[in-house]
Amino acid sequence: MISIFKDIFEYQFLKNAVLAAFLVSIAAGIIGTYITSRRLVFLSGGITHASFGGIGIAYYMGISPVIGAIVFSVLSAFGIEVLSHRKNIREDSAIGILWAFGMAVGIIFIFLTPGYAPNLMSFLFGSILTVTNSDLIYLIILNLVVILFFILFYRQILYIAFDQEFARSQKIPVNFFNYILIAFIAIAIVLSIRVVGIILLISLFTVPPTIANVFSNHFGKIIFWSILISFIGAFIGLLLSYSINIPSGAAIVVVFVLMFGIVKSVSVLFQHINRKKKLKVIIDK
Amino acid sequence: MGKILDLIDVTVGYGSDVILRDVNIDVLDNDFIGVIGPNGGGKTTLLRLLLGEINPFQGQLNFYPLSKNETLFGYLPQVSTIDRKFPIKVIDIVLSGLMSRNGLFGGDKKKNKEKALEILRIAGVDHLHNYSVGELSGGQLQRVFLSRALISEPRLLILDEPNTFVDNKFEKELYELLKELNKKMAIIIVSHDVGTITSYVKTIACVNRNLHYHRSNRITAEQLASYDCPIQVISHGKIPHTVLLDHLKEKDHDQHI
Repeated sequence: MISIFKDIFEYQFLKNAVLAAFLVSIAAGIIGTYITSRRLVFLSGGITHASFGGIGIAYYMGISPVIGAIVFSVLSAFGIEVLSHRKNIREDSAIGILWAFGMAVGIIFIFLTPGYAPNLMSFLFGSILTVTNSDLIYLIILNLVVILFFILFYRQILYIAFDQEFARSQKIPVNFFNYILIAFIAIAIVLSIRVVGIILLISLFTVPPTIANVFSNHFGKIIFWSILISFIGAFIGLLLSYSINIPSGAAIVVVFVLMFGIVKSVSVLFQHINRKKKLKVIIDK
Repeated sequence: MGKILDLIDVTVGYGSDVILRDVNIDVLDNDFIGVIGPNGGGKTTLLRLLLGEINPFQGQLNFYPLSKNETLFGYLPQVSTIDRKFPIKVIDIVLSGLMSRNGLFGGDKKKNKEKALEILRIAGVDHLHNYSVGELSGGQLQRVFLSRALISEPRLLILDEPNTFVDNKFEKELYELLKELNKKMAIIIVSHDVGTITSYVKTIACVNRNLHYHRSNRITAEQLASYDCPIQVISHGKIPHTVLLDHLKEKDHDQHI
Protein backbone atom coordinates (compact mmCIF):
# COMPACT_ATOMS: atom_id res chain seq x y z
CA MET A 1 0.00 0.00 0.00
CA ILE A 2 2.79 2.41 0.92
CA SER A 3 4.56 1.80 -2.35
CA ILE A 4 1.74 3.44 -4.29
CA PHE A 5 2.63 6.84 -2.83
CA LYS A 6 6.12 6.39 -4.21
CA ASP A 7 4.67 5.21 -7.51
CA ILE A 8 2.51 8.32 -7.83
CA PHE A 9 5.62 10.42 -8.07
CA GLU A 10 7.37 7.96 -10.31
CA TYR A 11 4.79 7.12 -12.96
CA GLN A 12 3.23 9.82 -15.12
CA PHE A 13 -0.03 7.86 -15.57
CA LEU A 14 -0.58 7.65 -11.81
CA LYS A 15 0.24 11.32 -11.39
CA ASN A 16 -2.31 12.14 -14.09
CA ALA A 17 -4.89 9.87 -12.48
CA VAL A 18 -4.59 11.60 -9.10
CA LEU A 19 -4.66 15.03 -10.76
CA ALA A 20 -7.74 14.04 -12.77
CA ALA A 21 -9.48 12.79 -9.63
CA PHE A 22 -8.70 16.11 -7.94
CA LEU A 23 -9.93 18.24 -10.84
CA VAL A 24 -13.08 16.19 -11.38
CA SER A 25 -13.81 16.40 -7.64
CA ILE A 26 -13.91 20.19 -7.86
CA ALA A 27 -16.24 20.31 -10.87
CA ALA A 28 -18.44 17.47 -9.60
CA GLY A 29 -18.59 18.97 -6.09
CA ILE A 30 -19.85 22.32 -7.35
CA ILE A 31 -22.12 21.07 -10.13
CA GLY A 32 -23.24 18.07 -8.06
CA THR A 33 -24.43 20.31 -5.22
CA TYR A 34 -26.50 22.24 -7.74
CA ILE A 35 -27.86 19.04 -9.31
CA THR A 36 -28.91 17.43 -6.03
CA SER A 37 -30.36 20.63 -4.53
CA ARG A 38 -32.51 21.18 -7.58
CA ARG A 39 -33.36 17.49 -7.92
CA LEU A 40 -31.87 17.26 -11.39
CA VAL A 41 -30.29 13.84 -10.82
CA PHE A 42 -32.40 12.02 -13.40
CA LEU A 43 -31.83 14.80 -15.94
CA SER A 44 -28.10 14.48 -15.37
CA GLY A 45 -28.29 10.72 -15.83
CA GLY A 46 -30.03 11.33 -19.16
CA ILE A 47 -27.39 13.80 -20.30
CA THR A 48 -24.64 11.36 -19.29
CA HIS A 49 -26.01 8.57 -21.44
CA ALA A 50 -27.03 10.86 -24.31
CA SER A 51 -23.42 12.04 -24.55
CA PHE A 52 -22.46 8.58 -25.77
CA GLY A 53 -24.20 9.40 -29.06
CA GLY A 54 -21.78 12.29 -29.50
CA ILE A 55 -18.81 10.03 -28.79
CA GLY A 56 -19.97 7.57 -31.47
CA ILE A 57 -20.56 10.25 -34.10
CA ALA A 58 -17.19 11.84 -33.33
CA TYR A 59 -15.40 8.54 -33.86
CA TYR A 60 -17.22 7.96 -37.13
CA MET A 61 -16.30 11.44 -38.38
CA GLY A 62 -12.76 11.14 -37.08
CA ILE A 63 -12.92 14.15 -34.74
CA SER A 64 -12.15 14.42 -31.02
CA PRO A 65 -14.65 12.32 -29.04
CA VAL A 66 -14.58 14.86 -26.19
CA ILE A 67 -15.71 17.65 -28.51
CA GLY A 68 -18.33 15.38 -30.07
CA ALA A 69 -19.69 14.37 -26.66
CA ILE A 70 -19.78 17.98 -25.42
CA VAL A 71 -21.72 19.21 -28.46
CA PHE A 72 -24.14 16.28 -28.35
CA SER A 73 -24.79 16.41 -24.61
CA VAL A 74 -25.17 20.21 -24.44
CA LEU A 75 -27.68 20.03 -27.29
CA SER A 76 -29.55 17.16 -25.58
CA ALA A 77 -29.62 19.14 -22.35
CA PHE A 78 -31.03 22.20 -24.11
CA GLY A 79 -33.51 19.91 -25.87
CA ILE A 80 -34.78 18.57 -22.54
CA GLU A 81 -34.97 22.10 -21.10
CA VAL A 82 -37.01 23.31 -24.09
CA LEU A 83 -39.25 20.23 -24.23
CA SER A 84 -40.03 20.26 -20.53
CA HIS A 85 -41.39 23.80 -20.77
CA ARG A 86 -44.13 22.54 -23.06
CA LYS A 87 -47.11 21.36 -21.17
CA ASN A 88 -47.81 18.34 -23.37
CA ILE A 89 -44.49 16.55 -22.73
CA ARG A 90 -43.45 15.27 -19.33
CA GLU A 91 -39.89 16.10 -18.42
CA ASP A 92 -38.99 12.65 -17.16
CA SER A 93 -40.40 11.01 -20.27
CA ALA A 94 -38.35 13.36 -22.47
CA ILE A 95 -35.25 12.43 -20.45
CA GLY A 96 -36.00 8.72 -20.79
CA ILE A 97 -36.28 9.03 -24.57
CA LEU A 98 -33.02 10.94 -24.95
CA TRP A 99 -31.25 8.60 -22.54
CA ALA A 100 -31.72 5.52 -24.71
CA PHE A 101 -31.58 7.40 -28.02
CA GLY A 102 -28.10 8.75 -27.27
CA MET A 103 -26.81 5.30 -26.34
CA ALA A 104 -28.34 3.77 -29.48
CA VAL A 105 -26.79 6.41 -31.75
CA GLY A 106 -23.42 5.88 -30.08
CA ILE A 107 -23.48 2.10 -30.46
CA ILE A 108 -24.53 2.31 -34.14
CA PHE A 109 -21.84 4.81 -35.13
CA ILE A 110 -19.08 3.02 -33.27
CA PHE A 111 -20.16 -0.20 -35.01
CA LEU A 112 -20.07 1.58 -38.39
CA THR A 113 -16.65 3.13 -37.80
CA PRO A 114 -14.21 1.27 -40.05
CA GLY A 115 -10.86 -0.01 -38.89
CA TYR A 116 -9.80 0.47 -35.29
CA ALA A 117 -12.74 -0.06 -32.94
CA PRO A 118 -12.34 2.08 -29.84
CA ASN A 119 -12.63 0.36 -26.51
CA LEU A 120 -16.30 0.71 -25.56
CA MET A 121 -15.62 -0.53 -22.08
CA SER A 122 -13.39 2.44 -21.24
CA PHE A 123 -16.28 4.83 -21.94
CA LEU A 124 -18.82 2.77 -20.09
CA PHE A 125 -16.70 2.03 -17.01
CA GLY A 126 -14.02 4.70 -17.15
CA SER A 127 -10.27 4.46 -17.45
CA ILE A 128 -8.71 6.95 -15.09
CA LEU A 129 -5.29 5.40 -15.60
CA THR A 130 -5.27 6.47 -19.25
CA VAL A 131 -6.00 10.16 -18.64
CA THR A 132 -4.02 12.31 -21.07
CA ASN A 133 -2.55 15.76 -20.67
CA SER A 134 -5.19 17.27 -22.93
CA ASP A 135 -7.93 15.73 -20.71
CA LEU A 136 -6.34 17.53 -17.77
CA ILE A 137 -6.20 20.84 -19.64
CA TYR A 138 -9.89 20.58 -20.54
CA LEU A 139 -10.67 19.91 -16.87
CA ILE A 140 -8.60 22.87 -15.68
CA ILE A 141 -10.38 25.23 -18.10
CA LEU A 142 -13.80 23.91 -17.05
CA ASN A 143 -12.94 24.30 -13.36
CA LEU A 144 -11.72 27.87 -13.80
CA VAL A 145 -14.89 28.87 -15.66
CA VAL A 146 -17.24 27.09 -13.23
CA ILE A 147 -15.48 28.43 -10.12
CA LEU A 148 -15.50 31.98 -11.46
CA PHE A 149 -19.17 31.75 -12.45
CA PHE A 150 -20.20 30.37 -9.05
CA ILE A 151 -18.22 33.00 -7.16
CA LEU A 152 -19.61 35.88 -9.22
CA PHE A 153 -23.22 34.68 -9.28
CA TYR A 154 -23.44 32.58 -6.11
CA ARG A 155 -26.51 34.39 -4.78
CA GLN A 156 -28.36 34.42 -8.08
CA ILE A 157 -27.71 30.70 -8.59
CA LEU A 158 -28.85 29.87 -5.06
CA TYR A 159 -32.00 32.00 -5.21
CA ILE A 160 -33.05 30.75 -8.64
CA ALA A 161 -32.45 27.16 -7.59
CA PHE A 162 -34.54 27.65 -4.45
CA ASP A 163 -37.49 29.54 -5.95
CA GLN A 164 -37.54 30.26 -9.67
CA GLU A 165 -40.90 31.94 -9.60
CA PHE A 166 -39.79 34.47 -7.02
CA ALA A 167 -36.49 35.07 -8.80
CA ARG A 168 -38.46 35.81 -11.95
CA SER A 169 -40.62 38.30 -10.08
CA GLN A 170 -37.37 40.02 -9.07
CA LYS A 171 -36.43 40.45 -12.73
CA ILE A 172 -33.49 38.04 -12.56
CA PRO A 173 -32.77 36.50 -15.99
CA VAL A 174 -33.81 33.04 -14.82
CA ASN A 175 -33.78 31.36 -18.24
CA PHE A 176 -30.31 32.68 -19.02
CA PHE A 177 -28.96 31.17 -15.79
CA ASN A 178 -30.80 27.91 -16.34
CA TYR A 179 -29.28 27.43 -19.79
CA ILE A 180 -25.77 28.34 -18.66
CA LEU A 181 -25.98 25.96 -15.71
CA ILE A 182 -27.41 23.10 -17.73
CA ALA A 183 -24.56 23.58 -20.22
CA PHE A 184 -22.10 23.41 -17.30
CA ILE A 185 -23.76 20.19 -16.14
CA ALA A 186 -23.40 18.67 -19.60
CA ILE A 187 -19.75 19.70 -20.02
CA ALA A 188 -18.76 18.65 -16.50
CA ILE A 189 -20.38 15.27 -17.08
CA VAL A 190 -18.58 14.69 -20.38
CA LEU A 191 -15.19 15.62 -18.94
CA SER A 192 -15.75 13.26 -15.99
CA ILE A 193 -16.54 10.24 -18.15
CA ARG A 194 -12.84 9.31 -18.24
CA VAL A 195 -12.74 8.91 -14.46
CA VAL A 196 -15.64 6.57 -13.68
CA GLY A 197 -17.34 5.99 -17.04
CA ILE A 198 -20.87 6.66 -18.25
CA ILE A 199 -22.58 3.96 -16.22
CA LEU A 200 -21.12 4.93 -12.85
CA LEU A 201 -20.80 8.67 -13.43
CA ILE A 202 -23.96 9.84 -11.71
CA SER A 203 -22.55 8.69 -8.35
CA LEU A 204 -19.76 11.27 -8.64
CA PHE A 205 -22.34 14.06 -8.83
CA THR A 206 -24.79 12.76 -6.24
CA VAL A 207 -23.06 10.84 -3.45
CA PRO A 208 -20.62 13.53 -2.19
CA PRO A 209 -23.28 16.30 -1.94
CA THR A 210 -25.64 13.84 -0.30
CA ILE A 211 -23.00 12.98 2.30
CA ALA A 212 -22.28 16.68 2.88
CA ASN A 213 -26.00 17.36 3.20
CA VAL A 214 -26.14 14.96 6.16
CA PHE A 215 -24.19 17.43 8.33
CA SER A 216 -24.69 20.76 6.55
CA ASN A 217 -27.69 22.67 5.27
CA HIS A 218 -25.73 25.51 3.75
CA PHE A 219 -25.42 25.48 -0.04
CA GLY A 220 -21.90 26.95 -0.08
CA LYS A 221 -20.62 24.65 2.67
CA ILE A 222 -22.10 21.63 0.91
CA ILE A 223 -20.07 22.59 -2.17
CA PHE A 224 -16.88 22.79 -0.10
CA TRP A 225 -17.45 19.49 1.71
CA SER A 226 -18.52 17.74 -1.51
CA ILE A 227 -15.24 18.63 -3.16
CA LEU A 228 -13.29 17.35 -0.17
CA ILE A 229 -15.33 14.15 0.22
CA SER A 230 -15.21 13.53 -3.50
CA PHE A 231 -11.44 13.79 -3.61
CA ILE A 232 -10.90 11.62 -0.54
CA GLY A 233 -13.26 8.99 -1.94
CA ALA A 234 -11.72 9.04 -5.39
CA PHE A 235 -8.21 8.83 -3.92
CA ILE A 236 -9.04 5.89 -1.66
CA GLY A 237 -10.80 4.21 -4.57
CA LEU A 238 -7.71 4.66 -6.70
CA LEU A 239 -5.47 3.21 -3.98
CA LEU A 240 -7.75 0.20 -3.65
CA SER A 241 -7.96 -0.34 -7.36
CA TYR A 242 -4.19 -0.12 -7.74
CA SER A 243 -3.28 -2.27 -4.77
CA ILE A 244 -5.80 -5.11 -5.13
CA ASN A 245 -6.17 -4.77 -8.89
CA ILE A 246 -9.89 -4.06 -9.34
CA PRO A 247 -11.52 -1.59 -11.82
CA SER A 248 -10.95 1.96 -10.57
CA GLY A 249 -14.38 3.43 -11.43
CA ALA A 250 -16.24 0.74 -9.54
CA ALA A 251 -13.80 0.98 -6.61
CA ILE A 252 -14.43 4.75 -6.34
CA VAL A 253 -18.22 4.31 -6.35
CA VAL A 254 -18.09 1.60 -3.68
CA VAL A 255 -15.89 3.81 -1.47
CA PHE A 256 -18.35 6.72 -1.92
CA VAL A 257 -21.30 4.62 -0.83
CA LEU A 258 -19.38 3.19 2.14
CA MET A 259 -18.49 6.75 3.19
CA PHE A 260 -22.16 7.68 2.94
CA GLY A 261 -23.10 4.70 5.11
CA ILE A 262 -20.56 5.63 7.78
CA VAL A 263 -21.45 9.35 7.89
CA LYS A 264 -25.18 8.63 7.96
CA SER A 265 -24.82 6.08 10.78
CA VAL A 266 -22.70 8.45 12.86
CA SER A 267 -25.23 11.25 12.35
CA VAL A 268 -28.16 9.03 13.34
CA LEU A 269 -26.22 7.93 16.44
CA PHE A 270 -25.53 11.57 17.39
CA GLN A 271 -29.17 12.53 16.93
CA HIS A 272 -30.17 9.62 19.12
CA ILE A 273 -27.75 10.66 21.90
CA ASN A 274 -28.87 14.29 21.67
CA ARG A 275 -32.50 13.33 21.92
CA LYS A 276 -31.79 11.24 25.02
CA LYS A 277 -29.88 14.15 26.58
CA LYS A 278 -32.73 16.55 25.90
CA LEU A 279 -35.23 14.09 27.28
CA LYS A 280 -33.12 13.70 30.40
CA VAL A 281 -33.00 17.48 30.91
CA ILE A 282 -36.78 17.65 30.61
CA ILE A 283 -37.25 14.74 33.03
CA ASP A 284 -34.76 16.20 35.54
CA LYS A 285 -36.69 19.46 35.55
CA MET B 1 -52.67 58.64 -5.41
CA GLY B 2 -50.50 57.34 -8.20
CA LYS B 3 -51.31 54.56 -10.53
CA ILE B 4 -49.06 51.50 -10.21
CA LEU B 5 -50.31 49.47 -13.14
CA ASP B 6 -53.31 48.88 -15.31
CA LEU B 7 -54.67 46.10 -17.48
CA ILE B 8 -56.63 47.12 -20.58
CA ASP B 9 -58.75 44.47 -22.35
CA VAL B 10 -56.21 41.78 -21.56
CA THR B 11 -56.70 38.22 -22.76
CA VAL B 12 -54.21 35.69 -21.47
CA GLY B 13 -53.62 31.95 -21.21
CA TYR B 14 -51.17 29.14 -21.97
CA GLY B 15 -50.43 27.70 -25.41
CA SER B 16 -53.72 27.85 -27.24
CA ASP B 17 -55.90 27.86 -24.10
CA VAL B 18 -57.42 31.15 -23.10
CA ILE B 19 -57.75 31.36 -19.31
CA LEU B 20 -58.79 34.99 -18.79
CA ARG B 21 -60.66 37.18 -21.24
CA ASP B 22 -61.05 40.96 -21.51
CA VAL B 23 -59.63 41.83 -18.11
CA ASN B 24 -59.68 45.48 -17.06
CA ILE B 25 -58.36 46.73 -13.75
CA ASP B 26 -56.34 49.63 -12.33
CA VAL B 27 -54.09 49.18 -9.32
CA LEU B 28 -53.44 52.40 -7.43
CA ASP B 29 -51.18 53.23 -4.49
CA ASN B 30 -52.72 52.14 -1.19
CA ASP B 31 -55.21 49.81 -2.86
CA PHE B 32 -56.04 46.66 -0.92
CA ILE B 33 -57.58 44.23 -3.38
CA GLY B 34 -58.89 40.80 -2.46
CA VAL B 35 -58.88 38.40 -5.40
CA ILE B 36 -61.48 35.67 -5.06
CA GLY B 37 -62.88 33.02 -7.35
CA PRO B 38 -63.18 29.28 -7.85
CA ASN B 39 -60.20 26.99 -8.37
CA GLY B 40 -59.20 26.92 -12.02
CA GLY B 41 -60.89 30.27 -12.55
CA GLY B 42 -57.63 32.02 -13.33
CA LYS B 43 -56.48 33.61 -10.04
CA THR B 44 -52.96 32.26 -10.33
CA THR B 45 -52.86 33.15 -14.02
CA LEU B 46 -53.72 36.73 -13.11
CA LEU B 47 -50.83 36.84 -10.63
CA ARG B 48 -48.42 35.32 -13.11
CA LEU B 49 -49.47 37.95 -15.62
CA LEU B 50 -48.86 40.78 -13.16
CA LEU B 51 -45.48 39.33 -12.20
CA GLY B 52 -44.43 39.19 -15.83
CA GLU B 53 -44.12 35.41 -16.02
CA ILE B 54 -46.56 35.23 -18.91
CA ASN B 55 -47.47 37.79 -21.55
CA PRO B 56 -50.94 38.84 -22.69
CA PHE B 57 -52.29 37.35 -25.93
CA GLN B 58 -54.15 40.60 -26.48
CA GLY B 59 -54.56 43.93 -24.75
CA GLN B 60 -52.13 45.95 -22.68
CA LEU B 61 -50.40 45.61 -19.34
CA ASN B 62 -48.82 48.93 -18.33
CA PHE B 63 -46.61 49.74 -15.36
CA TYR B 64 -46.11 53.26 -14.04
CA PRO B 65 -42.87 53.21 -12.05
CA LEU B 66 -42.06 56.31 -10.00
CA SER B 67 -38.33 55.94 -10.42
CA LYS B 68 -35.97 53.74 -12.31
CA ASN B 69 -34.71 51.66 -9.41
CA GLU B 70 -37.91 51.27 -7.44
CA THR B 71 -38.94 47.75 -6.48
CA LEU B 72 -42.39 47.31 -7.87
CA PHE B 73 -43.34 43.93 -6.42
CA GLY B 74 -43.03 42.03 -3.23
CA TYR B 75 -44.33 38.54 -3.83
CA LEU B 76 -45.45 35.85 -1.41
CA PRO B 77 -45.99 32.59 -3.34
CA GLN B 78 -47.94 29.58 -2.16
CA VAL B 79 -45.80 27.72 0.34
CA SER B 80 -46.70 24.38 -1.23
CA THR B 81 -44.60 25.17 -4.30
CA ILE B 82 -41.41 25.26 -2.25
CA ASP B 83 -38.93 22.38 -1.91
CA ARG B 84 -38.72 22.01 1.86
CA LYS B 85 -35.51 19.97 1.68
CA PHE B 86 -33.53 22.63 -0.18
CA PRO B 87 -30.31 23.55 1.65
CA ILE B 88 -30.90 27.24 2.35
CA LYS B 89 -30.99 29.25 5.56
CA VAL B 90 -33.77 31.61 6.64
CA ILE B 91 -31.53 34.67 6.52
CA ASP B 92 -30.56 33.87 2.91
CA ILE B 93 -34.20 33.45 1.91
CA VAL B 94 -34.94 36.93 3.23
CA LEU B 95 -31.85 38.37 1.55
CA SER B 96 -33.03 36.94 -1.76
CA GLY B 97 -35.77 39.58 -1.61
CA LEU B 98 -33.08 42.15 -2.35
CA MET B 99 -32.04 40.50 -5.61
CA SER B 100 -33.49 43.14 -7.90
CA ARG B 101 -32.18 45.95 -5.72
CA ASN B 102 -28.58 45.03 -5.42
CA GLY B 103 -27.70 44.20 -8.98
CA LEU B 104 -24.98 41.70 -9.75
CA PHE B 105 -22.64 42.09 -6.85
CA GLY B 106 -24.87 42.19 -3.83
CA GLY B 107 -24.49 45.68 -2.35
CA ASP B 108 -23.49 46.32 1.26
CA LYS B 109 -23.56 42.87 2.85
CA LYS B 110 -23.54 43.95 6.48
CA LYS B 111 -26.27 46.52 5.99
CA ASN B 112 -28.42 44.03 4.08
CA LYS B 113 -28.05 41.45 6.82
CA GLU B 114 -29.07 43.92 9.51
CA LYS B 115 -32.06 44.88 7.43
CA ALA B 116 -33.04 41.23 6.97
CA LEU B 117 -32.83 40.63 10.73
CA GLU B 118 -34.91 43.73 11.39
CA ILE B 119 -37.65 42.55 9.02
CA LEU B 120 -37.57 39.07 10.58
CA ARG B 121 -37.99 40.71 13.99
CA ILE B 122 -41.11 42.54 12.78
CA ALA B 123 -42.47 39.24 11.45
CA GLY B 124 -41.65 37.67 14.83
CA VAL B 125 -39.19 35.03 13.62
CA ASP B 126 -35.74 36.62 14.00
CA HIS B 127 -34.72 33.82 16.39
CA LEU B 128 -34.97 31.42 13.43
CA HIS B 129 -32.56 33.28 11.15
CA ASN B 130 -29.98 30.49 11.21
CA TYR B 131 -32.48 27.65 10.68
CA SER B 132 -32.76 25.90 7.36
CA VAL B 133 -36.01 25.85 5.47
CA GLY B 134 -36.76 22.21 6.37
CA GLU B 135 -36.83 22.99 10.09
CA LEU B 136 -39.71 25.48 9.89
CA SER B 137 -43.43 24.98 10.38
CA GLY B 138 -45.89 26.20 7.77
CA GLY B 139 -46.67 29.39 9.67
CA GLN B 140 -43.00 30.16 10.31
CA LEU B 141 -42.25 29.66 6.64
CA GLN B 142 -45.03 32.09 5.71
CA ARG B 143 -43.53 34.70 8.03
CA VAL B 144 -40.11 34.18 6.45
CA PHE B 145 -41.56 34.54 2.96
CA LEU B 146 -43.44 37.63 4.01
CA SER B 147 -40.14 39.06 5.25
CA ARG B 148 -38.57 38.25 1.90
CA ALA B 149 -41.38 40.06 0.10
CA LEU B 150 -41.10 43.11 2.35
CA ILE B 151 -37.35 43.64 2.58
CA SER B 152 -37.20 45.51 -0.72
CA GLU B 153 -39.93 47.92 0.43
CA PRO B 154 -42.11 47.25 -2.60
CA ARG B 155 -44.85 49.51 -3.90
CA LEU B 156 -47.17 46.57 -4.41
CA LEU B 157 -47.31 43.45 -2.23
CA ILE B 158 -48.82 40.38 -3.88
CA LEU B 159 -49.86 37.43 -1.69
CA ASP B 160 -51.02 34.09 -3.09
CA GLU B 161 -53.22 32.31 -0.53
CA PRO B 162 -51.16 33.18 2.54
CA ASN B 163 -53.76 31.62 4.82
CA THR B 164 -53.20 28.02 3.76
CA PHE B 165 -51.25 25.82 6.19
CA VAL B 166 -51.35 28.36 8.99
CA ASP B 167 -53.17 28.52 12.28
CA ASN B 168 -55.88 31.01 13.11
CA LYS B 169 -53.63 33.00 15.39
CA PHE B 170 -51.12 33.64 12.63
CA GLU B 171 -53.88 34.42 10.18
CA LYS B 172 -55.24 37.16 12.39
CA GLU B 173 -51.77 38.57 13.02
CA LEU B 174 -51.06 38.48 9.31
CA TYR B 175 -54.17 40.45 8.43
CA GLU B 176 -53.47 43.03 11.13
CA LEU B 177 -49.92 43.36 9.80
CA LEU B 178 -51.21 43.76 6.25
CA LYS B 179 -53.58 46.48 7.39
CA GLU B 180 -50.61 48.32 8.86
CA LEU B 181 -48.49 47.76 5.73
CA ASN B 182 -51.32 48.99 3.53
CA LYS B 183 -50.61 52.52 4.76
CA LYS B 184 -47.30 52.31 2.91
CA MET B 185 -48.00 50.02 -0.03
CA ALA B 186 -50.72 48.61 -2.22
CA ILE B 187 -51.68 44.99 -1.57
CA ILE B 188 -53.25 42.30 -3.73
CA ILE B 189 -54.24 39.16 -1.86
CA VAL B 190 -55.58 35.95 -3.37
CA SER B 191 -57.70 34.03 -0.93
CA HIS B 192 -60.24 31.27 -0.65
CA ASP B 193 -61.48 32.61 2.61
CA VAL B 194 -63.88 35.29 1.44
CA GLY B 195 -65.45 35.70 4.82
CA THR B 196 -62.24 36.84 6.49
CA ILE B 197 -60.68 38.91 3.76
CA THR B 198 -63.71 41.08 3.15
CA SER B 199 -63.26 42.65 6.56
CA TYR B 200 -59.71 43.75 5.71
CA VAL B 201 -59.61 44.49 1.97
CA LYS B 202 -60.95 47.66 0.39
CA THR B 203 -62.06 46.23 -2.93
CA ILE B 204 -62.77 42.79 -4.37
CA ALA B 205 -61.86 41.30 -7.73
CA CYS B 206 -63.92 38.26 -8.70
CA VAL B 207 -61.94 36.10 -11.10
CA ASN B 208 -63.63 33.35 -13.06
CA ARG B 209 -62.51 33.28 -16.68
CA ASN B 210 -63.00 37.02 -16.63
CA LEU B 211 -62.64 39.66 -13.95
CA HIS B 212 -65.35 41.66 -12.23
CA TYR B 213 -63.92 44.49 -10.22
CA HIS B 214 -66.12 45.33 -7.27
CA ARG B 215 -65.03 48.65 -5.83
CA SER B 216 -66.14 47.89 -2.29
CA ASN B 217 -65.41 45.28 0.35
CA ARG B 218 -69.07 44.53 0.75
CA ILE B 219 -70.48 41.95 -1.53
CA THR B 220 -73.63 39.85 -1.47
CA ALA B 221 -74.16 36.28 -2.52
CA GLU B 222 -76.46 37.60 -5.26
CA GLN B 223 -73.73 39.84 -6.57
CA LEU B 224 -71.25 37.00 -6.50
CA ALA B 225 -73.71 34.93 -8.49
CA SER B 226 -74.19 37.73 -11.02
CA TYR B 227 -70.43 37.88 -11.43
CA ASP B 228 -70.45 34.17 -12.14
CA CYS B 229 -68.15 33.74 -9.18
CA PRO B 230 -69.11 30.56 -7.33
CA ILE B 231 -66.88 30.35 -4.27
CA GLN B 232 -67.01 28.74 -0.90
CA VAL B 233 -69.05 31.61 0.40
CA ILE B 234 -72.04 29.35 0.00
CA SER B 235 -70.57 26.71 2.29
CA HIS B 236 -69.40 29.40 4.69
CA GLY B 237 -72.97 30.40 5.30
CA LYS B 238 -73.41 34.04 6.15
CA ILE B 239 -70.87 36.57 5.09
CA PRO B 240 -69.79 39.03 7.71
CA HIS B 241 -70.58 42.63 6.83
CA THR B 242 -74.16 42.36 5.79
CA VAL B 243 -74.71 44.54 2.84
CA LEU B 244 -76.57 47.79 3.39
CA LEU B 245 -79.85 48.04 1.61
CA ASP B 246 -78.91 51.05 -0.43
CA HIS B 247 -75.63 49.49 -1.43
CA LEU B 248 -76.82 48.43 -4.84
CA LYS B 249 -78.02 51.92 -5.61
CA GLU B 250 -74.53 53.25 -5.01
CA LYS B 251 -73.43 51.46 -8.14
CA ASP B 252 -70.01 51.25 -6.63
CA HIS B 253 -69.09 48.20 -8.59
CA ASP B 254 -68.31 47.99 -12.26
CA GLN B 255 -71.06 46.68 -14.43
CA HIS B 256 -69.80 44.14 -16.87
CA ILE B 257 -71.70 42.56 -19.65
